[in-house]
Amino acid sequence: MTSKKPLAKPQPSAHRSRLYSIWWRQQKQAIDFSLKRLWFNPISAWITLIAIALALSLPTSMHVLVKNLQSLTHNNQSVPTISLFLKPKVTEQQANDLAELVKTQPEVFSTTVVTRDQALQDFKKISGLADTLKTLGENPLPNIVIITPKLNELGETDADLDDFTKRIKTYKEVEDVQIDVEWIQRLRAILQIAERIVAVVAALLAFTVLLVVGNTIRLDIENRKDEILVTRLIGATNRYIRRPFLYGGLWLGLFGGVLSLLVVNIALLFLVGPVNKLSTLYGNSFSIGGIDLTTTLEVLVISSILGLVGAWLAVNRYLWENEVIND
Amino acid sequence: MIEFRQVYKRYPTGQLALYNVNLTIHAGEMLFITGNSGAGKSTLLKLIALLETPSKGNVLVGNMPLTHLNPRQIPSYRRKIGFIFQDPHLLYDRNVFDNVALPLLISGMPLPDIKRRVNAALDKVGLGRKTKSFPLMLSAGERQRVGIARAVVNRPTIILADEPTGNLDPELAQDIMYTFAQFNDLGATVLIASHDHGLVERMKKRTVVLQRVEL
Repeated sequence: MTSKKPLAKPQPSAHRSRLYSIWWRQQKQAIDFSLKRLWFNPISAWITLIAIALALSLPTSMHVLVKNLQSLTHNNQSVPTISLFLKPKVTEQQANDLAELVKTQPEVFSTTVVTRDQALQDFKKISGLADTLKTLGENPLPNIVIITPKLNELGETDADLDDFTKRIKTYKEVEDVQIDVEWIQRLRAILQIAERIVAVVAALLAFTVLLVVGNTIRLDIENRKDEILVTRLIGATNRYIRRPFLYGGLWLGLFGGVLSLLVVNIALLFLVGPVNKLSTLYGNSFSIGGIDLTTTLEVLVISSILGLVGAWLAVNRYLWENEVIND
Repeated sequence: MIEFRQVYKRYPTGQLALYNVNLTIHAGEMLFITGNSGAGKSTLLKLIALLETPSKGNVLVGNMPLTHLNPRQIPSYRRKIGFIFQDPHLLYDRNVFDNVALPLLISGMPLPDIKRRVNAALDKVGLGRKTKSFPLMLSAGERQRVGIARAVVNRPTIILADEPTGNLDPELAQDIMYTFAQFNDLGATVLIASHDHGLVERMKKRTVVLQRVEL
């Protein structure tokens, strides 16, 4: 009589690795299948992608513009907006010393001294009154200290600005203070409103993307009802049935996001020229920036999530409505 | 063993499909279910496949009441069943090989094993040379045989066939029945719903006749 060797019990690690390889195989199948669905249905895919891209472009472009304008009001942007006209007897050395002293104030980003000679030269160039100025004999212009404030430190109210001005005026060398900072503070207030508007528009259009993706996936489900019935009958889990649709939604969101970034970048290119011109008129080096890496990643992640959620809602609704016993 | 214990099925429309059915089907048996249209033949098979649930009573498979199955266990239970429809419900955008491979893909089998099993199943139904054909390129009989290959490729212990020869000519229908008999010989329990009395009689297997109930 021969004794049979008992069968070896499968090792837990081998079991885990088998499950993982099944999982990975099924993921690959779903990815491959969902990409093929997009590739072989180009018209419906492109219509959906364009709709998603347009819906995402509006909040993205608004966000980029607001961000650009915000950079104008940030403290590292050189917007010289406060001029200190010094008393006539203040020398160039005293002006330089005062500039150094003012720079120590927390609200001040940088200071520049414009000497009375420089000022005269500039005035001659701008006004074309060189001959008339010669008749004066003496240079009537004072030395000037130009302040570039840290707008964030300066505060947002007129009271904050008044307080700063009063402190600056206490220096004995200062004859008069001219301020041109209100427009930036107003711009900042407007931008705060604009930010809220962008958030509302983004929320509404995100909902639109959900509906667009959800509807596309719903139509895809309708076209593949038979397939779902068959796969369910031969033992597919809801997770297995759901997977290619979820990938489909993910691709629509992701590619829609890529397309929207393309649209926004093209739109920004049209704006660069006029914005630079306007910036020059304000004596500023401001230049409109494109979409940075963070924003790019934000748009792609958000659009992918929206695609995924839209698909998930559509496919889950179908599975719940069409299963006798839900798993 | 499959057992129906005092099973009733009434659809939400009010139609009574099954009335107090008591039936025992032994493991490895080949059984025909006949009856007029609306007698509940399809419903009986759907109850086994868990496509429907009984309004009253119990269906037991291997002594396990199906109502006791956890929802998560249903897919793996269904993988032990091969279901064949009158219309084979093939996927028309996939070729014969891919249609038959579907149950194996779902169970996550490696590709070399899938190839081996699919080719064996297609050889069994005489379609070994049509692996790359698409369903529209096949005759009705060939399509039905693809459906059968798909149902048996996972080596199910129970094969349920709902009017599998309904669209076929008598000669082809007979061939299909012999194919089922071969799977039965290999140990599968085979239940076939059919209203073709002549064909059923020729197979010389146990037959259950369902009658339409009006209440």
